[in-house]
Amino acid sequence: MDVGVISIVLVFSLLFLLAIGMPLGLASAVLAALVMIMKFEPTLLTDPMSFGTGILTSNPGTGPLYLLTQKIFDLMTEYVLISVPLFIFMAALLERSGIAKQMYDSLDFWLSRVRGGVAIVTSIMAVLMAAMSGIIGGEVVLLGLIALPQMLRLGYNQNLAIGTICASGSLGTMIPPSIVLIIYGLITETSIKALFTGAFIPGFMLASFIIIYIVVRTQLDPSQAPLPEPKPDDPQGGEKWLMFAGFVSVVAGASSVILVARVGLLTVLGRNDPSVDKFEPPFLGMVGDLPLLLGIIAASAAVIFLVAGRERTTVGWQRGKGLVPPLAVIGIVLGSIYGGVTGITEAAGMGALAVFCIALFRGEASVDLLWVSMMRTLRSTGTIIWVTIGAAALAGAYTLAGGPTYIAQLIIGAEMPTMLVILTMMLILLFMGAFMDWVGIVLLIIPVFLPIVQRLPIEEIGFIGQLSPHHVAIWFGVLFCMNMQVSFLSPPFGPAAFYLKSVAPPHISLTDIFRGFLPFIGVQLLALSVLLLWPSIVTLLL
Amino acid sequence: MAKQVSGGLREWVIPFAFAFCAGWVIWHGPAYILDFFPHENPSMTAQITELHERKDVSPNMSGLFGGIMDIFDWAALLALPVIGYFGMRSVVYAQMEYPNPPRIDLFALFIGRVAMILIISMTLIMLYEVFLRYVIEAPTLWANELTLWIAGYVFLLSGFYAMQQRCHIRIFIIYDLLPKFGRRICDTISVVLLCLFAFFLVFGSYNQVFGIKFHRWEMFGTAFDPPIPATIQPMILIVVCLVALQSVVNLIADWNKEPVEHDEGDLIDEEELEAIKKSVGAD
Repeated sequence: MDVGVISIVLVFSLLFLLAIGMPLGLASAVLAALVMIMKFEPTLLTDPMSFGTGILTSNPGTGPLYLLTQKIFDLMTEYVLISVPLFIFMAALLERSGIAKQMYDSLDFWLSRVRGGVAIVTSIMAVLMAAMSGIIGGEVVLLGLIALPQMLRLGYNQNLAIGTICASGSLGTMIPPSIVLIIYGLITETSIKALFTGAFIPGFMLASFIIIYIVVRTQLDPSQAPLPEPKPDDPQGGEKWLMFAGFVSVVAGASSVILVARVGLLTVLGRNDPSVDKFEPPFLGMVGDLPLLLGIIAASAAVIFLVAGRERTTVGWQRGKGLVPPLAVIGIVLGSIYGGVTGITEAAGMGALAVFCIALFRGEASVDLLWVSMMRTLRSTGTIIWVTIGAAALAGAYTLAGGPTYIAQLIIGAEMPTMLVILTMMLILLFMGAFMDWVGIVLLIIPVFLPIVQRLPIEEIGFIGQLSPHHVAIWFGVLFCMNMQVSFLSPPFGPAAFYLKSVAPPHISLTDIFRGFLPFIGVQLLALSVLLLWPSIVTLLL
Repeated sequence: MAKQVSGGLREWVIPFAFAFCAGWVIWHGPAYILDFFPHENPSMTAQITELHERKDVSPNMSGLFGGIMDIFDWAALLALPVIGYFGMRSVVYAQMEYPNPPRIDLFALFIGRVAMILIISMTLIMLYEVFLRYVIEAPTLWANELTLWIAGYVFLLSGFYAMQQRCHIRIFIIYDLLPKFGRRICDTISVVLLCLFAFFLVFGSYNQVFGIKFHRWEMFGTAFDPPIPATIQPMILIVVCLVALQSVVNLIADWNKEPVEHDEGDLIDEEELEAIKKSVGAD
């Protein structure tokens, strides 16, 4: 059968199967078999009695259909895929420990006298949590439970409070490590580490856009974010800064001491000896880095004893120590990936271990915590991986039928301006995002879109800066991730809204929640257009 | 008797014992092949025998009943159904799980418990390897591939469990608008199509998978050389069939259930919410 006919039948059957509520992954798998039949033995559809005569069915136990098993098998033996359950495991442990609450209290202490402070704290906390694991959902719920009552009690504008929580809470999949980028990297065979690096600046850009928006909005209309009554024991302006300086010095000094110890260990073991073959200098692990580290230690000590004073530092440490566990986890996860220590999978495992150890240290760990987290991991793994399995089979079958080439030819042949093609794609992604889970989109649409983007004339992509050809897949991945940010908030099915609804006070309706999202969707679209106009922002760190 | 809570000692130990016995059986696969499905071709027999001798964990044990399998192999094989039976009886539903399943679902639930044990084992093996490789600088040959191998089972079995739990990702926009009659038709179409897929997948690959990969015990071709193709590929077909069967069971079990609204509010369940609330100290 002609690939054009196959494509049309495929699209309509997919819509039909999704409409009747068939699970996404299984529907894709069924369609994979359908594509194989249409490609190799279409008579089977018109005349089922001819079973056993065509290319597909005359050889029981072997033949083209084995390709589907092979595709699934290839996916099952992808080492990076193991990071998915591990990140889920870590997030499940994280949301059951008190780490988040303590982090909120610490941040809130420093920013309590700032206009819109609680909203800013919410965003910063969301960024920190996003840098620990790559899952949303639990994050929105946590923020909704911790920050929403606080903001409503202080008399914050309800829409501002809702929008801040959900827009920031969705950052989990934008800031590395991100499970969306892992799956994207797997199916497009792009380096996941490069994707993470590329997503750093756009992720922080979006986060800072959100914070800037909060600051501007609350400065223009202070009644939207009333300041809390000052507490009697609250330190005054300058005093707090000194305490903060003391706290930062303690953290910087302590981490430098750890790094110096690491240099010592590496030197003793001879692992920073540059004379070895294929030597890769460990980050901040060379003897030559010692002056820098010792300098930081000296500077911290100077700040602690001369500027801030010991008493202020002690108070600052007491108030700020809630930030240390999350920073340590971030250091372990991102440090493992970027410090050249381990791969992403191991980093996810180390993160899970770190969170468990912190929970143990805080006296919250129990066999029950482990059991429930394992069960949650199993459930989420089953749903995500099986969509991946179905889509891998479908993508394999469709590629065999010549689908992606056909569609790419179709688009190129239409002679649309490059940016118009990309804009159309963005609209399709935004539209699909409003109805479908990100897993489905990345697995079903990206394999078709990416080959098209890679064939577009590269000099016509964007207006500022020039993207290099081997960075196109990375740029598109980050762009896609940004799109999915919008999809978490967009009505009628933005998941963030439903997560928040489950913990919001009953008088806040779903409509209220979506109304609160509107300006934040605008902020996200602004960040998206920056990526479109200036594509090489993604490659700044590469 | 107090209400039992999921996650008791028995739910850890029995699935672990099951995973251990299954692991033994899988690792000694060549012995079972030689005894139960002997090759007609003598050179293949010699090849598999050589494999068996190289991989045998309990060498120098004489085979029973004139075969290759020694007493441990027989014990592990016979223990599997027994442990499975007691395992299914030991399952206690967690609050987050699908309520009041039919008894036949206990199999899927028990397999889910086994997969949970595999998740934690996989994580621990990986962390052990990280420790050895980066702290002591004495990496093992086996840990990475063992993790990969276990993960394959976790991925496959988790889908079976998710099917029983009805937590596969679906879109309910139109489905929820339909009357009960319409929903039954939709569900039936889904189940029939899924069974057809399972049929075509098995029909199109059974010979490749069971006849070649499994029967010739194809290995991964590395230093540790786990039989990943020989075991994961058959597992794919088996699990796809189990998922199809489970969908039939679900269809029958849910046939007379009152329709529930899927307002996506069930993205997060009550137990999860309680746990998070407790962790932040909210009331």
